[in-house]
Amino acid sequence: MSEKDGFINYELQEFKLFEPLFRWARKKSLWIVAFCTGCGGIEMPPLANARYDFERFGIMPNPAPRMGDLFLITGYVTPKTLKRIIITYEMMQDPKYVLAHGSCPINGGVYWDSYNVVKQLDKYIPIDVAIAGCMPRPEAVMDGIMEIMRKIEDGTADGWKRYRENYEYYRKNQDELFGEGWREKEARRWLAWI
Amino acid sequence: MDMNEKAQLPETKEGKLVAEILEKAPYAEGSVRRERRVEFKVPADRIKEFLELASEKFEMLMQISVVDWIKEGEFELVYQLWSVSESVHAFVRTRVPRENAKLPTVMDIWPVAETYEREAHEFFGIAFEGNPRLGPFILEPREYEKHPLRKDFNTLSYAKTIYGEDFDRYDESKTNYVI
Repeated sequence: MSEKDGFINYELQEFKLFEPLFRWARKKSLWIVAFCTGCGGIEMPPLANARYDFERFGIMPNPAPRMGDLFLITGYVTPKTLKRIIITYEMMQDPKYVLAHGSCPINGGVYWDSYNVVKQLDKYIPIDVAIAGCMPRPEAVMDGIMEIMRKIEDGTADGWKRYRENYEYYRKNQDELFGEGWREKEARRWLAWI
Repeated sequence: MDMNEKAQLPETKEGKLVAEILEKAPYAEGSVRRERRVEFKVPADRIKEFLELASEKFEMLMQISVVDWIKEGEFELVYQLWSVSESVHAFVRTRVPRENAKLPTVMDIWPVAETYEREAHEFFGIAFEGNPRLGPFILEPREYEKHPLRKDFNTLSYAKTIYGEDFDRYDESKTNYVI
């Protein structure tokens, strides 16, 4: 990230000519962070099997967040999971994309009055594509993946930029939910810069 | 009364098992619900004694579940026991008052009770005397203080205060659901 004339460029100016090539390459090599929450974790194996086979799009499940590009939120998120999600999300390298499955990350879904499920995940981390449904079928997830590939190519999948620019807003919402100082207490083990 | 109950028990392995236990524990009530399922009702002050006795036949503690009877002002604890030798599932029911609910721990009989007692303590606020690890376990500390599975815990107002009200799914008139 370089700052010049008041607005932020996330791309190196020297390589600006090649930016469409980079976008195409990012779109064709999405690595998934294997972080399954809620019921959508069960919906992932059909996607990986021969019938839908997401590897033909260059998508690969990957255990390490530092090598991941695509973060799948596969179902409801409890406050305890949300802490881990935020830590994992901040561990990932830019550019990073978030795909939310099902109605629970959108508005709580069937857990709309539960004491223990985060409504509106969008308040805590930025989401690029949300798939409605409870749970979405693999076809719907494939459609969401195609959508995020399209958005990567035309540059509108900018959640990671929004997270940087509106960090204060996300940070304020996270602190409201977990209480001040939760990062220092619980996230320092993983996020070395805190 | 004791003799009458024994007379009602069927001539099956379950009936004989219940009769055998009731003979040693006349303070309890016992019945056979169906094949491989028996039930005991025990006063709370003698529950430890009864479970120690029952553990000779019932080797496994499968679960401790709690029911909140808010009108009666009582918690009902159901100790679910499994007899490996007899293949019989037993419900041992006991009731304690909701205010400052206290029970002795059964960790020394079945060590696995530690986890179940922690859970019952966290969600209902029942204190198990002698269990060293009671405290925040599954939930965040904020929720632990409220004991969220009690019937008088208002989940909707709690969710509003924690997650914010800027969200139309909370419309209680149920005319404006998003989904």
